[in-house]
Amino acid sequence: MALRRTRREFVRDLGISTAALPFVLNLSGLGFANQTRRKQRLVVMFSPNGVVPGAFWPDEEGEKFTLKESLKPLAPFQSRTLVLNGVCDRVRGDGDSHMRGIGCLLTGVELFPGNVQGGSHTPAGWASGLSVDQEIRTHLQKDPATRTRFGSLEFGVMVPDRADTWTRMVYSGPNKPVAPVDDPYQMFAKLYGRTKDRELLKSVLDDVRDDLKKVGGAVGAADRKLLDEHATFVREMEKDLREEKAAAADHPVPQLEPGVKKENDRIPAISKMQIDLMVNGFAADFARVATLQYTNSVGMARMRWLGVTEGHHELSHEPDKNETAQDKLTKINRWFCDQLAYLAKRLAETPEPGGPGSLLDNTLIVWTNELGKGNSHTLDDIPFVLVGNGLDFKMGRSVKYQKLAHNRLLLALAHGFGHRLTRFGNPDFCGAGPLPSLT
Amino acid sequence: MPIVLRFQRVHSCPPARLALFAFALVASPGAAAADTKTGEQIYRQLCVRCHGLGGEGSKKHPPPLVGDKSVDALAKLIDRTMPEDDPDQLDAAGSAAVAAYIHDAFYSPTAQARNKPARVELSRLTIPQYRNAVADLVGAFRGPGKWDDKRGLRGEYFTGRGFEGNKRVIDRTDPEVRFDFGTSGPAPEKFDPHQFSIRWEGSVLAPETGTYELVVRTEHAIRLWVNDPRTPLIDAWVKSGTDTEFRASVGLLAGRAYPLRLEFSKAKQGVDDSKTNPNPPPKKASIALLWKPPHGVVGVIPARHLSPNRSPEAFVVSTAFPPDDRSLGWERGTGVSKEWDAATTEAAIETAGYVAGHLAELAGVADAAPDRSPKLREFCRRFADRAFRRPLTDEQRRVFIDRQFEAAADPETAVKRVVLVVLKSPRFLFREVGGGPDAYDTAARLSFALWDSLPDDELLKAAATGKLAAPDQLAAHAERMLADPRAKAKVRAFLLTWLKADQVPDLAKDPKRFPGFGPEVISDLRTSLDLFLDEVVWSGESDFRQLLLADSVHLNHTLARVYGADLSPAAGFQKVRLDAGKRAGVLTHPYLLAAFAYTGESSPIHRGVFLARGVLGLTLRPPPDAFTPFPADLHPTLTTRERVALQTKPQACIGCHGVINPLGYTLEHFDAIGRYREKDNGKPVDATGGYQTRSGVAVKFTGAPELGRFLAGSEEVHAAFTEHLFHHLVKQPVRAYGSHRLDELRAGFAGNGFNIRKLIVAVAVVSAFPPPEAKSSPKKP
Repeated sequence: MALRRTRREFVRDLGISTAALPFVLNLSGLGFANQTRRKQRLVVMFSPNGVVPGAFWPDEEGEKFTLKESLKPLAPFQSRTLVLNGVCDRVRGDGDSHMRGIGCLLTGVELFPGNVQGGSHTPAGWASGLSVDQEIRTHLQKDPATRTRFGSLEFGVMVPDRADTWTRMVYSGPNKPVAPVDDPYQMFAKLYGRTKDRELLKSVLDDVRDDLKKVGGAVGAADRKLLDEHATFVREMEKDLREEKAAAADHPVPQLEPGVKKENDRIPAISKMQIDLMVNGFAADFARVATLQYTNSVGMARMRWLGVTEGHHELSHEPDKNETAQDKLTKINRWFCDQLAYLAKRLAETPEPGGPGSLLDNTLIVWTNELGKGNSHTLDDIPFVLVGNGLDFKMGRSVKYQKLAHNRLLLALAHGFGHRLTRFGNPDFCGAGPLPSLT
Repeated sequence: MPIVLRFQRVHSCPPARLALFAFALVASPGAAAADTKTGEQIYRQLCVRCHGLGGEGSKKHPPPLVGDKSVDALAKLIDRTMPEDDPDQLDAAGSAAVAAYIHDAFYSPTAQARNKPARVELSRLTIPQYRNAVADLVGAFRGPGKWDDKRGLRGEYFTGRGFEGNKRVIDRTDPEVRFDFGTSGPAPEKFDPHQFSIRWEGSVLAPETGTYELVVRTEHAIRLWVNDPRTPLIDAWVKSGTDTEFRASVGLLAGRAYPLRLEFSKAKQGVDDSKTNPNPPPKKASIALLWKPPHGVVGVIPARHLSPNRSPEAFVVSTAFPPDDRSLGWERGTGVSKEWDAATTEAAIETAGYVAGHLAELAGVADAAPDRSPKLREFCRRFADRAFRRPLTDEQRRVFIDRQFEAAADPETAVKRVVLVVLKSPRFLFREVGGGPDAYDTAARLSFALWDSLPDDELLKAAATGKLAAPDQLAAHAERMLADPRAKAKVRAFLLTWLKADQVPDLAKDPKRFPGFGPEVISDLRTSLDLFLDEVVWSGESDFRQLLLADSVHLNHTLARVYGADLSPAAGFQKVRLDAGKRAGVLTHPYLLAAFAYTGESSPIHRGVFLARGVLGLTLRPPPDAFTPFPADLHPTLTTRERVALQTKPQACIGCHGVINPLGYTLEHFDAIGRYREKDNGKPVDATGGYQTRSGVAVKFTGAPELGRFLAGSEEVHAAFTEHLFHHLVKQPVRAYGSHRLDELRAGFAGNGFNIRKLIVAVAVVSAFPPPEAKSSPKKP
């Protein structure tokens, strides 16, 4: 017997029509009643400056592979992990490797000419197309069955306060970069601000009503009618608020650690808060697509909590023979992998609302980077580590391709959502369609 | 068909006289056969016995004849049931006549409102008042801006790309931002053409409330901040692709200056490669700062709306409100609705969020300050004092401040609670319910009359120290307040309402007959009207009569070409005497002449109705039916005047059109876009006309200047203008302030040489004293 039973099947077995469902079960998440396919989610997690290949890529191909030092935190999820080696960013044109690395990573298309000058190459502007997460978001938002309040959420951690090609990965269209929200309190306000405001409003209603009564008692009879009418509306608002609260009881508002500042040394705390908010947001079905961007392309985080005092980017320029630097870089990438593992763990331990299994059963996380390797600035072998069962990819494998364009992976992500594009980004790199041997 | 025309000024006639006029005119048309009786005659004959002369009822039938049935429904009911002892006595036609009479005389809600004695009604803040009050409530913690005589923006020019102080080579005031630097720098000998940057800074004044679209045109990188100094409205600092135009919208309130900063950079961002790549090919550089005001077209922001002074940020509530009641011709706050209540809640939440987000700046206390909590309480007390227009009592302080701080987990939440409970309180939302009557009420009446907003520090101080009691003390404040841009915006809005131009008429014309009369010309005409109104009101004499007499029109090059004046292509707006003295102020302003016209032909009827209702203050009934004007091409031999005369010839029309047409004919020298003409349809224009005054004197005049001179000297016009001004400023019926008030104000107006500003001050002072009836009613809560 199949374990995955949708709510529709459950209801059908009960012999209750879906129209009667709200009255019988008194459930708030009625979207499930119309669900024909499982919910699917995508998370793209970004960390900068390339990886140390020897400490990152598994030696083996296939289902039996050993996680190297950088990927060790994924051990509990190895059977749900897919490591893709040999995927290359082939997009060229204006901008240096860091700029194209992040700007073309999810868009698969060239940057516009512009005024942002990198360390080499010609100056460039923004990407000339939208990113695949936004393409998938638009696809999901078009269909009432998969539409959510926000569609997508763009998280950041310590993203510099400047808008340029190095700090933006997500694009809602050509020349339309989307700024990640790197302040957890701001993200909290976006997700729950209204709820909190309504709660606050409710808490002052008694005072509002008393005040109205006092004032009403002091005006002449001819004018009291207007205030009485006003009082009626206030009572109606109170009733509305009570009903809203009852409806919202299913999705408790998360508690955030207060007073965390945007400071280098608080990166671990901010990272945890953002991941917690993302998981909460998925549980409340606020969005099906999310991105999580750590710093920026050329990111300068100083991971003092790992004993690394140098900035990430300057370390990444050290030659291979500088073993101390390579060890530190491996540590840094392992820390990013820790964050990935924490996200996977939170998703795995959160039940899928209204369905069987966990959020991770229906979520695919893609961890990636703007470069293959920091000191060579290569755009070959871009790290793509996939975790979770959100798309019907065959997980628990190490796959090695022979230099295939990353546009084909972007296509595969869209196809995984049933969005059968024939090209995405620059069509020259879309070859024979989605990457082979994923499913 | 009977036509009723009431020669009565709105609200200035006692009901008895009103009924008499109605009777006289209803009775007069000869269309009614000799044996048919009017509705009133029938009512007097058959109904008065039970229902009373004014429908007030009798001992036998006490319920008054009031209700909201339509005339038709009422007629059917009467035909079926009345008179009670013998319904057959009255046939359908008679019932209809009686129904029409009582409906209009006392039955309908409108009739009741008209007949009941005027009083100052409890009112909530109107939408403009709400938005202004919240802006000033928050703005009080930032200090006032300075809008003086300096125009333009401060422009600082730098040879570097980062606005480094030591690289500034020019610091000047630019009247507007519209430059083409070609392939060199702003001053070729001082700048490297490959790399320079400019920062313009100052304020922009919004002439009307609404959404402004800001537009920057340039080939290079720019950032533009408007109002919010933290987040750019337009961020195109990354130059990307070939776009050369950048747009974004912002909502602004009329009569306020907002901080504006525009940064321009012709340089690369990121890594400096000028050493490795020293001689790239030169690129062109130009920049223009434009806007599209709520009712205009895109154009360079003119110097008159710019100031090099900095202004504090203003908080503009963006929550949408349902429109205010305008059924009496002015916006009133005498009704509430669920939508309005919901909007006040949303706006309170929006404001609470804004205050919490700007708390350190507004309350002047750092996040880590040890005395933060007491300082925030003090901030909240000042916030509530100002919102309620009077100091909190001790008990109110406990409720509105202390209790909120005790109930909240942290000071930010407490502040938000205070903002919510204060902005949802009737003491903020309604006028004059929070105590009084006292000097604080006086202060609020003055500030709402002149600014549609809360009293400022000086008014509150005067109220607190007993210096707001004598009329001359009030007048001194009113004069001071009148110089504020908020007052100027309110006065201009009033004048546009008086001229029926506030709702922005559709001026589109037949493009075949008037090629080139497009949106740009229309927008320039509106500017021309605004400039004229401002000039008359804010000139030394502020002489009302100039509005009806001036023979010049403000023209720029575009308008000069359309209206036959000779101006150089670079000419900005200036006063031009047009058509050798044949113009007469607003009466011949092309914007209004075009508004009161069809797409191809002039419309003496629209112009006449405007003169009769708007300028002379007559009440005209709408026509009994909707009529399509006789098309010109079906009467190829007639002039417009002749066609109008033909169409309104029937006896049923002439009651009203006997008044309307002779007024409108006097403007026949002006075509559908307000150009002067000697001939209409090949025949010489006949611009003779006239008017029978309320005192029965028949006056004849020909052409606009004679019409202007008659109107400028007419007491009816002065009274109508005064009454209209009172209602617009005070938003209460002038009759509620005593039956002689309007006459006194009009006489004072005449005595002061028809000085508009002095009239405004007089109106504000009259309205600031509690009206006689209201003096005793409010009790202290």
